[in-house]
Amino acid sequence: MFKYVGKRLLASTITLIIILTTVFVLMRQMPIEGYFDNFDKVDQAVINAKLEQLGLRDPMPVQLKNFFAGLLRGDLGVSNRYRTGAPIASIIAAKAPISIQMGLLSMAVSLLLGIPLGAKMARSKSKLWDKLGTGFIVFINAVPAAVYYIYLQSYGSKALDIPMLFKPDSAISWVLPVLSMSLGSIAYYAMWLRRYMVDEMNKDYVKLARAKGVATRDITMGHVFRNAFVPMIQYIPSSLLFTISGSIYIESLYSIPGMGGLLVDVITRQDNTMVQALVMLYASIGIIGMLLGDLLMVLIDPRISFSKREGVR
Amino acid sequence: MSQNNKERKLHTGLEESARRNDFDMAVYSEQAAERTGFSNYSYWGSTIRVFFQNRLAASLMALLVLLVVFTMIQPYLPRQYEATRVINHPITRMQMSNVGPGFSNVHYTAPAGVELVLTPYDDPEWAAVSNMLLTLRARTPFTVVEYGEQWCLVEVGEQTGYVRNDFSTKLRLPDDPTAVPYESRSNFPIQVYTSPEDYTNQGTELFVRRSQLDIAPDGLSATTRENAQLRLLPNEAPFLFGTNNAGQDMWSMVWSGTRTSLFIGFMVALLEAVIGITIGVLWGYVRKLDRLLTEIYNVINNIPTTIVLIMFAYIMRPGIQTLIFSMTITGWVSMARFVRNQIVIIRDRDYNLASRCLGTGTFRIITRNLLPYLVSVIMLRMALAIPGAIGSEVFITYIGLGLPVSIPSLGNLINVGRKLVTTSLAYQLIFPTVVLSIVTISFYIIGNAFADAADPRNHV
Repeated sequence: MFKYVGKRLLASTITLIIILTTVFVLMRQMPIEGYFDNFDKVDQAVINAKLEQLGLRDPMPVQLKNFFAGLLRGDLGVSNRYRTGAPIASIIAAKAPISIQMGLLSMAVSLLLGIPLGAKMARSKSKLWDKLGTGFIVFINAVPAAVYYIYLQSYGSKALDIPMLFKPDSAISWVLPVLSMSLGSIAYYAMWLRRYMVDEMNKDYVKLARAKGVATRDITMGHVFRNAFVPMIQYIPSSLLFTISGSIYIESLYSIPGMGGLLVDVITRQDNTMVQALVMLYASIGIIGMLLGDLLMVLIDPRISFSKREGVR
Repeated sequence: MSQNNKERKLHTGLEESARRNDFDMAVYSEQAAERTGFSNYSYWGSTIRVFFQNRLAASLMALLVLLVVFTMIQPYLPRQYEATRVINHPITRMQMSNVGPGFSNVHYTAPAGVELVLTPYDDPEWAAVSNMLLTLRARTPFTVVEYGEQWCLVEVGEQTGYVRNDFSTKLRLPDDPTAVPYESRSNFPIQVYTSPEDYTNQGTELFVRRSQLDIAPDGLSATTRENAQLRLLPNEAPFLFGTNNAGQDMWSMVWSGTRTSLFIGFMVALLEAVIGITIGVLWGYVRKLDRLLTEIYNVINNIPTTIVLIMFAYIMRPGIQTLIFSMTITGWVSMARFVRNQIVIIRDRDYNLASRCLGTGTFRIITRNLLPYLVSVIMLRMALAIPGAIGSEVFITYIGLGLPVSIPSLGNLINVGRKLVTTSLAYQLIFPTVVLSIVTISFYIIGNAFADAADPRNHV
């Protein structure tokens, strides 16, 4: 097992380095306006001095070396346009908590609603509940999120008679953002749980249990559900980690001062160093989440062998 | 008991018919024997039959085909505005902003005998009219000769006409306003109309066919001859979906946007399929490449697709090519992996082994033996890639990296419209979202129904 974990860790580290290097090199291709908050007004000498100071005139390998050295010290660089001179790490530290809170809440909501929905759909296959749930899943998957978020915001705030924008102190203004954030993952959990449970129900051990006279309820809850839930566990670490990134749509729609809105902000202001730092952060979260998910799967499901991963030969 | 009865009946029946010589001895015939060995099962025939048994998917398919055909021919239909043209009022040159949606551009229908004022407009067919006699400057005095809750008949110098009596004019009235005549004035500039109606579009002229008017010899005034249609513009083209703030026709904007979005969707689906299949086949069939491509896959698959999309859209210049490129660069991976897995499963089956032993070339094995198995699922993935691409376009536009407003797309129409959602201009959001939802839901349901139909287990 340790051999597997070690190998997996090594692979993830290499992937991470490759991705960070690619992002760094690509970002260097951006116009240099993105490093100045008043590019049009400064003269050439100042521009040169600043580029020199940022190390942008160095050859690429040197830049990369300095960048990784900074990264190891936890230094992501400074913002140049969004908040001139502020260290990016401190900007992120100020923004992340609210995104994490909101993300965790929405994850709880979606697990609490999505999993019962999926289980209910699987138990009443091709009956009313299944059809209603399928309609919901099709709608959420097919209609772009932007569209139903906008309608939910405007009509939801009218119906509940609450302000459209988010205020951290008033509990009721958390309802709509959290609900909007959950809809997608409710549909996701319900869809996959239903599919896995329906697959599981057709297996021989279920037939045997039924033939032995085990109650349907005990079969679905005790065997089918537990087996069907295992493949979904893989995604839980990723979802947990991604609460940091916030939801880009929701946060800018409700003007929540979190990480998702931050990305949109720095993109529209073309703050190169900030975009770079955020893209790298999200990419790293993706990789680490995947790694943790795989490890968790291995721990929980005894049927998975340590030496070989499923699907990869 | 009844079982026995039935059996006995059958026996007596058989005996009877044997007595009547109902049966002939069957002779062995090669043709007849061959017929039983033949099944008219065809994969595609059954797929299509099962697909059309799904009523919902079949009708959505018809709807979608109509919709796609319509978006293609819409600019060539009569009475259409150009999508990005800013429509101006021909006389004032002001933009026709935020005109509500309607089935015709008739603003009012005036009954016969209404007195109208002509504005000089050089057109053989159309006349520019209003019933606005003159505009009084603020605080100009006039005499009220007849009082009404909404309109007052007034005299100014030689002329008589109607003025509005509401919050927009705030006439200065005595305590008993019905005791006419008396002098009055307003603190605002006010308009005097020939009749107690407002036959203008917020103060600008309307257009009517000259044939519906009796024009006075001096050419400055006219009366309507019959029910006259006073139109917003000197033509009969309606603003079916209204106009936006810039004065562009939403109907043609929506269809032009649908065209752009569908184009992006189709291109992304096509490129994903081409790249994905090519690489997937190589990955699955050429064993030496397996290791390398698997590693590349692991790297790409680890990054959230949204982040890649955002990064490329950020680095490159905004435009259709950029969007297609940045969506394709993440999308081909899953297709390639799927094709690879399937190829690995079927490449070593006996018939391929036999084929290879007979000296069939690799290319022929791939195109003739392997790919036909995958066609149905590849089509499913392409069908699902289209709504995905349209959704990504909306997302990228939302965060400010999408197409410039000069190229209408469903994404930037929705992005403009979403700021108006709670206002009376919400139609500028509703129309694009309805069209978008129809397109994406149809592709999604059709894709899934097709996948079910293409599964041979459902061909019973």
